[in-house]
Amino acid sequence: MVSNQSVTDSPATPAVEARGISKSFGGVRALDAVDFDVSWGEVHALLGENGAGKTTLCNIFAGIYRADDGEVLVEGIAHGFRNPSQAIDSGIGMVHQHFRLVETMTVAENIHLGWPETPKIISQAKLVERTEQFMEEIGLHVDPTAKIWQLSVGEQQRVEILRVLARGARVLILDEPTAVLTAPEARELFAVMRQLVDGGRTIIFISHKLNEVLEVSDRITVLRNGIHEITRETAGATAVELARLMTGEETHLDVVHREIDGAIVLEVNSVTALNDRGVEALHGIDLNVRAGEIVGIAGVSGNGQTELAEVICAVRRVESGTISIDGEQIANRSARKVIDLGVGHISEDRIATGMVASAPVTDNAILHNYWGDELSDGLTLDRQGVVTFAKKLVETARVQTRSVFTTAGQMSGGNQQRLVAGREALVARTALIASHPTRGLDVLAAQEVQTSILERRDAGCAILFISDDLDEVLLMSDRIAVMYEGQIMEVFNRREADRERMGLLMGGHAVEEATP
Amino acid sequence: MTAYRVERRLEANPRHAALARIYGAIIAMVVAGLLLLLTGRNAFQIFWEALDAIFGSQRGIEGVLLRAIPILMTALAVALSLRMKVWNIGSDGQFLMGAFAAVGIGIHMSGPGWLILIVMAVAATAAGALWMLVPALARAYWDVNEIITTLLLNFVAVQLVVWASLSFWRDTENAVIQSTKPVPYTLAGLPGTNSLTIALLVPLIIAAVLWWIFRSTTTGYEIDTIGGNPRAASFAGIRVRFRILSVMLTTGGIAGLGGMLQLSAPGAQALGPGFSAQFGLSGFIVAALAGAAFGGVLVGGMFIASMFFAGLVLQTKGLSVYIIFGIYGIILTGVALGEVAARYRLVRQDILATERAAA
Repeated sequence: MVSNQSVTDSPATPAVEARGISKSFGGVRALDAVDFDVSWGEVHALLGENGAGKTTLCNIFAGIYRADDGEVLVEGIAHGFRNPSQAIDSGIGMVHQHFRLVETMTVAENIHLGWPETPKIISQAKLVERTEQFMEEIGLHVDPTAKIWQLSVGEQQRVEILRVLARGARVLILDEPTAVLTAPEARELFAVMRQLVDGGRTIIFISHKLNEVLEVSDRITVLRNGIHEITRETAGATAVELARLMTGEETHLDVVHREIDGAIVLEVNSVTALNDRGVEALHGIDLNVRAGEIVGIAGVSGNGQTELAEVICAVRRVESGTISIDGEQIANRSARKVIDLGVGHISEDRIATGMVASAPVTDNAILHNYWGDELSDGLTLDRQGVVTFAKKLVETARVQTRSVFTTAGQMSGGNQQRLVAGREALVARTALIASHPTRGLDVLAAQEVQTSILERRDAGCAILFISDDLDEVLLMSDRIAVMYEGQIMEVFNRREADRERMGLLMGGHAVEEATP
Repeated sequence: MTAYRVERRLEANPRHAALARIYGAIIAMVVAGLLLLLTGRNAFQIFWEALDAIFGSQRGIEGVLLRAIPILMTALAVALSLRMKVWNIGSDGQFLMGAFAAVGIGIHMSGPGWLILIVMAVAATAAGALWMLVPALARAYWDVNEIITTLLLNFVAVQLVVWASLSFWRDTENAVIQSTKPVPYTLAGLPGTNSLTIALLVPLIIAAVLWWIFRSTTTGYEIDTIGGNPRAASFAGIRVRFRILSVMLTTGGIAGLGGMLQLSAPGAQALGPGFSAQFGLSGFIVAALAGAAFGGVLVGGMFIASMFFAGLVLQTKGLSVYIIFGIYGIILTGVALGEVAARYRLVRQDILATERAAA
């Protein structure tokens, strides 16, 4: 009933096969005659840069899009899915990057929502019982009575996976599942994936993170610009080779780390601040960044990094302590004042705070400088100048868009981030606060953003580089501060940075137990 | 056999958006006509009479323009608020409060006509803005949903007008049951017309000013940015609260001034419960269908006014008011569908292939 016991295992016929799939959007070719196949019982990584066509291909498997050309075969039988329920009837289910759960409902309710097998009338207790039984069969557990909003992102993802499996999916498509997870949560997900595959299911794992793909997959297919590049066994593959296949060029960022003794530009003194829920999130932060220096903040997301970036940019109130830029006090002054002092801010969530998705590229390009002399006389806005400025920015930041009048939200995430990072690099004359500037970006785009940050450093900017990717922090920083529960645990020179010790500090291991 | 495909447009195109609405209206009129034919009515004659009523005489055209003024004022007020994604559902109430203030001045002050009219206009604008003060403060400081506050204040405004027209400003000299005393001042007539006054110029000027603000000033850009993403706006250092307050008060002021213009039209001049013939609602429809574009508001306002005027004439010729309302509904639905359709385009497969090759 609930799960599908009859997992077919015939190695000859692929579980799912794509033959010559093509698909275009608005005149842009997303997939070009792509052949692709996955076998039963494997984790098959679908690797590629943003916009390579990974998600589009899987959306066709899942019945969300229809291919312009080509066919999809499930166990050797051609299917033209018109909607997701036809795909799920054939055993293909997809877990999207953005969850489709009802936040105010329980886990059990979400799993049963819109599921044809849900009895029309059922008690809460019975619903929970069915859910528990089902979880037992799959071997995946979440508290069935918890409301979705009470769960961590990792748990929510698990509910999504359960939801899809409940509907009989034997081929599970995971669209960039680790993008939203912390490192330990990702580890757990990988264990779950192995467990499902060992049970005979198949997983298509969309990713652009090479390390993860090498770690968890059995086979790898690389797509580039909508074209199938290669399918190979994971065993023996190297990150360098895969990166070259993904990007079509050699990628390697060589960063020279220095010990900087320039003047202190950004100075944070015993700063405390509250988070959005009114709880103290920063407990007396002391930090300084010198001109021409990158100070990295390492730490697991949610340990006060967001609040730190926001108090510096004066978009969050400081409860006590001082912050200065070149000696000028900025704590609790206006955000405008901080920008005028030449502080750029690549905010961690571009859609929420860094851009106006519904506005064209032009309006987004000028968001942090439209009042400047170049574009405004204080009253009017030079619209012609705006277009020129936006075109220049699009070119220098290598934003791929048909025109500067395109709605920014219609661009891919990578291009949006290029736009925001490029804009802030221009704002940043004295300092740049970069919060997770490469999150969700593919190799090439991430490298471009990193390069533009290094250029600002070399131009004498003081840079605060926040990331939960320890490798990235180690790559970029001249000094590294480890942050845990709203405190700076320790500051290392890059030369002295010890990965193991930093890992322990990030987990709070060096903290004395007696915290108030 | 050429196949066609529907595709979403990557960028908004104002010309397509306008054309799609016009096509929508035309298709809707054809549908309405077919329905009339099906019920055994002479659709051609009805449409002909409607057109004749509007364009057949100077009286018709003036009648339309006269009705357009209050609709345009409330529509401009709503459109301005919509640019910031604030839903001013209370333009009817602000309109009434504007008229209320204007009546008070007009009855109790005496002096040269031009001066009194200016004071009336200023008082009406202030009253409209004041009627918006509580919703604006509540929205700016506590994020209270303005849809509810502005809507509910409409009912308060109506009751205030009823009270005034029944008691303290009641017209006791004429045999009217529910009306205030008439205001003895009217705006100067528009040369070459019989019934129009310079009031007609006011919405045109306001539309032009608003259009310029949003096209060419940083203020307009800031309001659009707040409308798109208020958090991103505050990260850019825009004073979001100040803008919410100032825009909301301004929209109230525009609607209030509309009330004064309506009051000082020859023939109106007094305030009663039926003073606003759902002008706020009509204005809201116009602003929403125009997508908060000020040029579109002018065209849409004129269109809806001519539709109402034609409806009124047809009613006198014996067409049931229900049928007329039905036709209104079909036409407005057509425009609304056109607005949605403008976001998509229909392309031929072979042309699409060429485009792809080019890209």
